[in-house]
Amino acid sequence: MKHYIVKRILGVIPVFFGITLIVFFMMNMAPATIADAVGEGDASSAAMRAALEANLGLDQPILVRYFLWLKEVITGDLGLSYRTGQPVLRMIGQRVAPSLILTGTGVVWAILIALPLGVLAAWKPKSGWSKLASGLTLFSFSAPSFFLCLIAIFVFSVKLSWFPAANMYSAGSGGDLSDLIRHLVLPASVVCLGSLGNLVRQTTSAVSEVLGEDYIRTARAKGLGEWAVLWKHAFRTALIPVLTTILNHIPHIIGGSMVVERIFGWPGMGSLLFTAVNGRDYTVIMGTTAVVAFAVLVTSILMDIVYRLADPGMGWGGDRS
Amino acid sequence: MKLKKILALTLSLVMTCSLCLTACGSSQEEPSASSETPVNVNYGISNAWDSLMPYYSVSGSNYSRIIYDKIYDRLAYVQADGTCLPRGADSWESADDGYAILFELNKDAAFHDGTPVTAQHWVDTLALVTDPVCEVYGRAFLSGLVGTDDTGAAVAGEKLGAEVVDEYTLKLTFKTPVIPNEFLVDYNREIYVLPTHLLAEIPAAELMSNEFWLAPIGSGPCKFVSELAGSNLVLEANENYQLGAPGFDTLTITVMDKANLLTALIAGDLDYYAFGGSVSEENRPIAEEAGFTVLEGTVPATFYELMLNNESISDAKTRQAINLALDKELLCLQSAGSMGFVTDTSILPGTAYSGPEAENVYDVEAAKALLAESNYAGETLTMACTSARASLAALIQQNLNEAGLNVQIETVDSSTMFAGMYDGTYDMAVASHTPTTLPLWFTASRFTEDNNLFRVADLSYYTQILDMIQMETVEEARVALVDEFEAYLAQEVPFVPLWFYYSLHVQSNTVTGIDYPSSSYCNENVWQWVKEG
Amino acid sequence: MKKRSSPVVQRFLADKLATACLIFLGVEILLLLILPLFLGQDPNLTDKTAGFWAPPSSAHLLGTDDVGRDILARLLYGGQISLLVGYLSAILGTLLGVPLGLLAGYKGGKWEYWIMRACDTFQSFPSLILVLCLVSLLGPSVWNIILVQGVLGWSSVARLVYGSTLSVKKKEYVEASRALGATDKAILFRTILPNVIAPVWAAFPMKVGRAILSESSLSFLGVGLRTPQASWGNLMQNALELITLTTRPWAWIPPGLCIVITVLALLLVGEGLRKALNPRGNL
Repeated sequence: MKHYIVKRILGVIPVFFGITLIVFFMMNMAPATIADAVGEGDASSAAMRAALEANLGLDQPILVRYFLWLKEVITGDLGLSYRTGQPVLRMIGQRVAPSLILTGTGVVWAILIALPLGVLAAWKPKSGWSKLASGLTLFSFSAPSFFLCLIAIFVFSVKLSWFPAANMYSAGSGGDLSDLIRHLVLPASVVCLGSLGNLVRQTTSAVSEVLGEDYIRTARAKGLGEWAVLWKHAFRTALIPVLTTILNHIPHIIGGSMVVERIFGWPGMGSLLFTAVNGRDYTVIMGTTAVVAFAVLVTSILMDIVYRLADPGMGWGGDRS
Repeated sequence: MKLKKILALTLSLVMTCSLCLTACGSSQEEPSASSETPVNVNYGISNAWDSLMPYYSVSGSNYSRIIYDKIYDRLAYVQADGTCLPRGADSWESADDGYAILFELNKDAAFHDGTPVTAQHWVDTLALVTDPVCEVYGRAFLSGLVGTDDTGAAVAGEKLGAEVVDEYTLKLTFKTPVIPNEFLVDYNREIYVLPTHLLAEIPAAELMSNEFWLAPIGSGPCKFVSELAGSNLVLEANENYQLGAPGFDTLTITVMDKANLLTALIAGDLDYYAFGGSVSEENRPIAEEAGFTVLEGTVPATFYELMLNNESISDAKTRQAINLALDKELLCLQSAGSMGFVTDTSILPGTAYSGPEAENVYDVEAAKALLAESNYAGETLTMACTSARASLAALIQQNLNEAGLNVQIETVDSSTMFAGMYDGTYDMAVASHTPTTLPLWFTASRFTEDNNLFRVADLSYYTQILDMIQMETVEEARVALVDEFEAYLAQEVPFVPLWFYYSLHVQSNTVTGIDYPSSSYCNENVWQWVKEG
Repeated sequence: MKKRSSPVVQRFLADKLATACLIFLGVEILLLLILPLFLGQDPNLTDKTAGFWAPPSSAHLLGTDDVGRDILARLLYGGQISLLVGYLSAILGTLLGVPLGLLAGYKGGKWEYWIMRACDTFQSFPSLILVLCLVSLLGPSVWNIILVQGVLGWSSVARLVYGSTLSVKKKEYVEASRALGATDKAILFRTILPNVIAPVWAAFPMKVGRAILSESSLSFLGVGLRTPQASWGNLMQNALELITLTTRPWAWIPPGLCIVITVLALLLVGEGLRKALNPRGNL
C-alpha cells in the first residue's frame, strides 16, 4: 500500500509540471499588459515601467523566468498582487474557507439527496421516484447555473423575501451561524442542483447494475428482506462509482460555483478570480488557477487512496484510468 | 463493514470540515467582546480598493481614495460646491506672492497610536513619496512642488518645496503661483499624512510591499481593525479624532455588486453605500417606494467625455466629425436619464468661466462631409469602455457608424482603459470624471509632456496657454484667456465633452449627519455621522 | 459496422422522444436562420422611436433593451452565435481528441504516457476557469471562444477513445489484420476507429450542450463576446439589475428558456443515441 501511494504521488509529478507549464504559458501571453495596466498617472513613464518589468522579472529569457517562477511556486510564494500589493497566497488563503463552505454544503446536500433518490429509482424503475430522478437529472444538466441563480433571487429573495440575495453575512452582523446559513441557502442550492444530475445518474445506474447481479438474486431468493438487500449489498457496492463521480466532477463543481459566487457576491475564490480577470491582475489569476488545479490533483490522489481502501478487490497495482 | 466505516469517515470529515470552517469564519469576524452591543455602520461599495497604502493605488480610483479618506487624514474637507473646510489643517493662507501656502495644522490631531501629528510628519510623508526609489503610483500631482520633476519625483540636490515652519505650521512651495482653495479642490483627495515615525526603519524601496500596510495606522476618523482584501474592511471609530468622534462604534465596509447595493440598503443590510448613496433615475422609484428619501444633487457630480487618440486620429476634421456625429442628447438620455445635460466643454456651468448653454450640435450630414475632406480612410477604430458602459458604447458605435466611421468596442476595466489610452492601444474611450469648479480642472493635467493622455503631437500651444492662464491673477484677463483656449479646443477637439450628470442620493434611514453630495470629492464627513444604537 | 448502421437508425427512430428532440434541434437551427429575415430588425440598431426599455408591443414583440434594440432580434441572432459556438467547439474538441485517444490506446508506451498525463493535466483545471482566463487573455471574439473551448475539450474525448481502444486492441480481428500485414495506419483507421467511435457519437450532443452552457456563462459574466454581439448568455446580463429582474421578465426569461430547452434536447438526443448504438446497455 505504501508502495502504491508513493507510486501514485510520483505519477502526478508530470501532471504537476504540466499544470505549472500551462499557467506559466498563460502568464506569458500577456506580459506587456502587466506593466501596461498600471493605473492612470505614472504608467507612461518609461523608467517606471522598466523598473516594474525588472521587478516582475520580465527582462529575463523565458526559460530562466519559468524556473525562477517555479522555484517561487514550490516554496509557496505566488508573488504579490499588483493591485492590492498583498501576497497572492494570503489573498487566496482568505478565500478558501468561504469557497469550501459553499461548494462543500452544495455537494453534501447533493449527496444526501442523490444517494437515496438514486437507490429508490433503481429499485423501482417504473415508479414516480424514477421519474423524479430522471427529471432532476435532465434539469440539472440543462439549466445554466446563472439562470438558476437569477430565478432563485427572483422568487426567494425578491418576491418572497425568504433569503438574502447577496453576500455571506449580513454586513457587519458579526458573522453568526444562523446568519451564515440564511445567506448560504440559495447559492448552495444552486451548487447542489448543478452537481445533483451526475450523482443521481451514477447512483441509479450503479445500483441497478448491482441489483441484476447473481448474488443479489441469490440473497433475495434466500428470503432476505428488500431493505437488507438494498442497503447491505446494492448500496454499498454502488458507492464506489458514486465516489468516483464526485471525484471526477470536483473541477466542474468549482468552475460552476464561480458563477454562483459572482452573482451572490460570495467572497470565495471564484469572486477573487473574477475580480482579478476584470482588473487584469495576472498574478492573482495565475495563482488562483494554479492553486485550484493543485487542489484538484491532491484531492484526486486522496480519493484514489480512499477508493482503494474501500474496495480491497481493486488491489494496489493498476492504474485507475 | 470496512466500507461503511470509510464512508462514514469521509462524509463526517466533509461535514466537520465545513462546520469547522464555518465556525472559524465566524469567530474571525467576531467583534471584540464588550459589555454593550457596538453600534455598527454597514457601508457598501461597488468596487474593491487597492492596497491600503494610500500612495500605492494601482487603479488610482475613487474607490480606493474613499477608503483612504477614513483611515488617513487629509488637509481639508472639500464640499460639493468647492468650499474647503478645516480638517488636518485649521486654516491656510497664501505666502511668498502666491508661490507658497502656509497650513496651520490642527494641534489635536493624533495618529491612532497616540502620537501627535506635526508638520514634520507632513514634510516627511511628502519627502518619502517623492523619493525616486520609493515605488509609488500616481505622484504626478506633486510635480507642482518645487524640487520635483514632471513625474513628481524629487530632483537630487534640489530642496523639496515642503518645509516645517514650526511644529504646527506646514509650508508648501510651488513652481507657479497657486491659489490655496484651488490647490485643495484639485489635490486634497490625494495628499494624506503617514505615520512616518513608524516607517523610519523600513527602506524606502521596500515600503510599498511592507507588512505595515496589512494593518495600517493613520490619523483619520477611523482605525483599522481587519481586512479581507477585495471584499471586506472593518474599521472602528477614532474616539480622539480632532473634529469629533464618529457617532458609531464600528464601520464595516463591504464590496457588493453595484446592482445589489440598493437592494441591500432596502433590506436593511446596509446603512449607506458609496458614493453618497447614488442611485440611477430608473431605480429611484424603487427606493422611494421602500420609504427612502432621494436627494437631488445640486452640483454636477460627473463629467462624461469621449477620449480621443490624437495620434491615430490625427486629422482635426475627423475629430470634429466625431463630435458632430454623436447624438449627445440621446446618449445622455441613455446613460443619465433626465439627470444629465449635454455640454461642449469641461468647464462647469454657472462659474465665471462658463459660456452660454451648450446646444446639441448633432449633424450626421455635416459629419459625413467633414469626414470626406479628412484623411480618414475607413480604418477600424478601437473604442475602449468599462463593462458598465458597454451599452452606451454600443450606442456611440451606432452614431459613428452612421457617419461612416468604423468602430469596434473593447470592454476592459478602467485602469486598462487609461493605460491603453496612454500607450496608444485604443483610439478612443468613454470616461467619466469628477468635475470641480476650477476652469482648468480637466485640461491642466492632461496636456503635459508627462501626462499627454490624448497623445497630442504638438503640445506647445497647450503648455503656453495653460501656463498663461495659471499665472494670470486678474479674473477678467483670465476669463479672456480661458475663452481663447476653449475656442481652440472646439476647433481641435482633442477630446469630446459629452455631458454633466447630477447625482441622485438615497438618504440613509439609520445614519444621520451624512453630507451626501461631497462624497464626489472622495471625502465623507464620517466624524459627523450618527447612528443610534 | 456499416451493415449495422441501419438498425442503429431504426433503434434511434423508435425512441420517440429522442427523435422529436432531434427534429426540434433541426427546426431550431432553421428558425434561427430564417426568422430574422422575416423579422427584418437589426439586432444592433437602436429604434429611436421606441426608446429604451420599451415593453413588448406589435413593433417589438419582446420589447427593446437598454440601448433601444429589438430583444427578439437579439434573441435570434444571439441564438445563432450560441449554437455556432456550441457545435463548432464540440466538433473541434472531438477532431482533436479522437486521434490522440487512438494513438494513446493503440501505440501504448511513451505515447500513452504523455498523452494521458496531458489529459490528467487538462482535467485538473476547472474548464470554465481555464476558458475564462484564456479568453480574457486572447480577447473577446466568437472565434476565440470556439478555439479555446474546442482545444480544451480534447481531453474528455481522448480519454473515452483511449479506454475503448485499449479493449478493442486485444480483440481477435485486430490481431488478425495485423497478422495479414496491415499497416498501423490501416489498423487504426479501418479496424479500430469504427469500433471505438460509438461512444464518441453518443457523447457528442452532451458535449455540444456543455459548450453552449459554458459559452453562455462566459457571456453572462461579460467576458466572451465583443459588444454589441448578442448571445443567449449576455442577453441575461441586464437581469443583474434589480429593476430588470423584477419588472421586465420578458427581457431575461426567454434567453434562459432557450438555453435550457436546447441543452435538454441535446441531452435527450444523446441518450437516444447511446441506447441506439449500444442496445445491450454496456457502454
